[in-house]
Amino acid sequence: MVSSNPQTEPGLDDFAPLAVEQRRQQLSRPSLSYWQDAWIRLKANRRAIVSLYIVIALLLFTLLGPLVWRVDPSAQDLDQVSRAPGAERMVTLAAPYRPWNGETVLPGSRDLRLAYPANTQAVRMIWDPVPGASAYRIYRDIVPALAGEPLGLPIAQTLTGTETRYEDRLDLRAETYFYTVVALDAAGAEMGSRQALSVTPVAVITVAEARSRGLAPPSEPLNVGDKVRFKLHPLGTDYLGRDMLARLMHGARVSLFIGIVAPLLFVSFGVAYGSMAGFLGGRVDQIMMRFADFVIALPFLLFMILFKIAFGIGPGQSGILPMIVALVMLSWPGTARLVRGQILQVREEGYVSAARLLGARTNYLVMRHMIPNTLGVILVTLTFAVPSAIFTEAFLSFIGMGVAPPTPSWGGMSNEGIKSMLIHPHELLFPAILISITVLAFNLLGDGLRDALDAKMRSRE
Amino acid sequence: MTDRPANDDGFNRSAGRQLLLIAVVSVIGIVLLMLGLSWASGLAGGTRVSKGIDAATGTVTLALADEPPQLDSTRSTDTISSMVLGHVTEGLIRNGEGGELTPGVAERWKITDTSATFWLRADARWSDGKPVTAHDFVFAWRKAVDPKTASEYATILFAIKNAEAINKGRAPISSLGVQALGDNVLRVELVRPVPYFAKLMVFSTFRPIREDFFNATAGRYGADADMLLYNGPFTITRWVHGAQLRMEKNPYYWDKDRVKVKVLDFAYFSSDPNALINLYKDGKIAVAGLNQENLNEALVKRWPINRFQRGAVFYMEFNHRKDRPTTNLHLRRAIQLVIDPDEVVYRVIKLPGNLPGRSLFPVWLDGNQGKFREEYPATQVLPNAVEARRQLALAKKELGLETLPPLTLLSDDGALGDKMTEYFQETLRRELGLTIRIDKQIFKQRLAKMSAGDFDLVLGGWNPDYPDPLTFADLFASWNSNNRGRYNNPRLDQLVAVAQTSTDVQTRMDTFGEIQRILIEDPPMVPIYEPGVVYVVDPRLQGVVRRVAGFDPDYTNVSIVGK
Repeated sequence: MVSSNPQTEPGLDDFAPLAVEQRRQQLSRPSLSYWQDAWIRLKANRRAIVSLYIVIALLLFTLLGPLVWRVDPSAQDLDQVSRAPGAERMVTLAAPYRPWNGETVLPGSRDLRLAYPANTQAVRMIWDPVPGASAYRIYRDIVPALAGEPLGLPIAQTLTGTETRYEDRLDLRAETYFYTVVALDAAGAEMGSRQALSVTPVAVITVAEARSRGLAPPSEPLNVGDKVRFKLHPLGTDYLGRDMLARLMHGARVSLFIGIVAPLLFVSFGVAYGSMAGFLGGRVDQIMMRFADFVIALPFLLFMILFKIAFGIGPGQSGILPMIVALVMLSWPGTARLVRGQILQVREEGYVSAARLLGARTNYLVMRHMIPNTLGVILVTLTFAVPSAIFTEAFLSFIGMGVAPPTPSWGGMSNEGIKSMLIHPHELLFPAILISITVLAFNLLGDGLRDALDAKMRSRE
Repeated sequence: MTDRPANDDGFNRSAGRQLLLIAVVSVIGIVLLMLGLSWASGLAGGTRVSKGIDAATGTVTLALADEPPQLDSTRSTDTISSMVLGHVTEGLIRNGEGGELTPGVAERWKITDTSATFWLRADARWSDGKPVTAHDFVFAWRKAVDPKTASEYATILFAIKNAEAINKGRAPISSLGVQALGDNVLRVELVRPVPYFAKLMVFSTFRPIREDFFNATAGRYGADADMLLYNGPFTITRWVHGAQLRMEKNPYYWDKDRVKVKVLDFAYFSSDPNALINLYKDGKIAVAGLNQENLNEALVKRWPINRFQRGAVFYMEFNHRKDRPTTNLHLRRAIQLVIDPDEVVYRVIKLPGNLPGRSLFPVWLDGNQGKFREEYPATQVLPNAVEARRQLALAKKELGLETLPPLTLLSDDGALGDKMTEYFQETLRRELGLTIRIDKQIFKQRLAKMSAGDFDLVLGGWNPDYPDPLTFADLFASWNSNNRGRYNNPRLDQLVAVAQTSTDVQTRMDTFGEIQRILIEDPPMVPIYEPGVVYVVDPRLQGVVRRVAGFDPDYTNVSIVGK
């Protein structure tokens, strides 16, 4: 026998135990849930964060504002009509207005002259009769007229030539007015004779008015001639002397209420409808989506009017409820379409098939896969639906279909403000700016949310 | 790990550049398109480049608040139709420049308690050259009372014999008490003395219509420029519905020397005061109304401002139908006591020309010798919140109500609509604790709702049809179809009947004075204001006449001075 090599069996020496390594799988970044991740991405988006702060500020403005700024938004103050922010607030107290019988308390005997000290209640003037005059025409101007120029506003004309006094009470302000009285001949043409006067009325209100508006503490005695301050209106007043700030706060309630409630309702309905159609598929899907197409074709304004009638909303009652109903009933198909598309897509994904093979139930599939994967789309639709609903409300109030006066709303305020846009711009600017800011903030926030919530964006980082 | 391509920023930048380029190109494209379109429209029509006043062609360009619905004088009811008809047709009598009665188609006339006779001038012609005859008046007036025409103003002819019976279908049309005695004499039989009959003749319902022309239009009479025959100072030569109404001097008008301009071009139909004032500013129209918002601009620009009292009265009317709380006298008085017409005029409307309402009878009406309101001053109801609340408490007791139901305040969408209604809403809430619901409708719908009785309070008004207090006094007579609140006061009815038939001026005026007192003590309405207008007229345009009764404004006498 050939002797064989001794078998070299591996000895124990060849084996040394490896040092026990405690290396486990490690995460290179902290584990983040979907929401944490989205939040981080949202925080990185400066526009979205600023918008978020603006939205929060708006909610505070609306909900807490009226608690801090306790001014009745429908209280009118005809002494302070269309005041710009920061207007003069000092006012002198005067005796209540009494009709004038022609007596005079001021000296003077020639030409056009004042019979009483001029204040914003009335400017009472008398003038010398002109022989042959059949009537007198009284002009009021805001600048002195140069020779040959028109004399300004023809505020009045006496009925006869024997009447040589006039009391001007038309929208008097504490500004200088230039009055001219022109005699008219028998045919009604202006004669050469003119008498002129310039007057600066003193801003006054009566003691009773000052008391009823609480311009001074009840304990403080008020006398004619005392000076008090008008209530502060930080953003000015509107065409009936109502506080703009209070109106904006209360107007925001309507706007934001509709802007948030209506989208919540129609987005949730759209999600339920769309996911059902997408999940069931086939013929049911076809029928359901054709119905959605039909609803899209319905005109909103017409339905708004129909609902208003169907709800028995009479004239002068707020149409908030029909507005929400019309918005909900006609705006859901957009969401439904989006969600259905998303569900159809997710349904065919590998992980859904895998879960199905592993015996997952429909419930589990929907809760674990379908909804989380469509949540981004849903949230984004919601944030984009809010500004469009706010805008719809503003538009409807603007055309007079929304809330009824005296309830303020931003759209209604803009509608009134636009009429005096050139002389009192603040009446239009404030509500218009608020509408713009709100709509923009919600849009940018929605934009940021879309970026943050879109799960596919994760893989790109 | 980041797998973002390194040139991501570069990609963004180039995309941005591309977007910018697209934006710039599209803006330039839009501008070019607009320029091209405006050039093309200039090629196509080019006629709309108007000048407010064109001395060379004798053209005055103006704006109308709206276009006339139609120009059949027997059926027209609105002020715009009346204004247009006043320029293109002429009745027996017309208003002169000072408002006085001047011969129109009739050279002279004689009115007694039982009849009226008009002698027509021989040289009055239609725009096709044929003479205007007494038969044309007979035809038009018969048509106006014909129940088939359903003219809203048929009642204005009821003083004529058989007119009322014909209108109610109880007598043949030919029995109307109007006869043509030959071509040039018109005789009218009256059922009762009508002291203001001559003043009535100015009204557009009394204009002539020629039978053969009317029949030839086959029911379209007054619907278009060529569907109307003219006998006034102007003829309509072009009527583009919704856009333009052009009048030219009528060469067949008997008094054509009176007409000094060749063309009146109503080239704009708009009631938007801001749009109109902009047209005036650009020199495209010669006359424009001012509102509170652009008053200051007019003052600063030194435009010559005119003021005109329209002669109407605006008021808050109550509904007197059975189940309405406003039937209660105390409630009406309470509301009357908190409404302060001075405050409305001076601090809410704020336009000169408006007068605080004190009475249903406006200040311009003539009385015995002087003005009616000077001879019979209306008691001024001074606002009194304490008394108002006392009246309200009485009203609640009588109605058996703890709190009053919300009241509906009907109004129309006129320029002052929102301001006024919101002011009243707040005033009635503050002073009386009433809840007011505002029902804003367009003008026609407001009238329809008023007729249907679908309101508690309504802001309405009345424009006089003829310059006599009766046009206001019979407004709340129980038989008047314009008494839309169904106010029913037998004493008032009695007085109106006296005023209608009496020929004694003193008796009539005393009656009107008594009616005025009743209307304040048992108010069917609370007067709020007598509306006025403030407007600017191009200084080159002279002779624009504004008047209270008859048509307004009157451009038939205008002339252009300078260039």
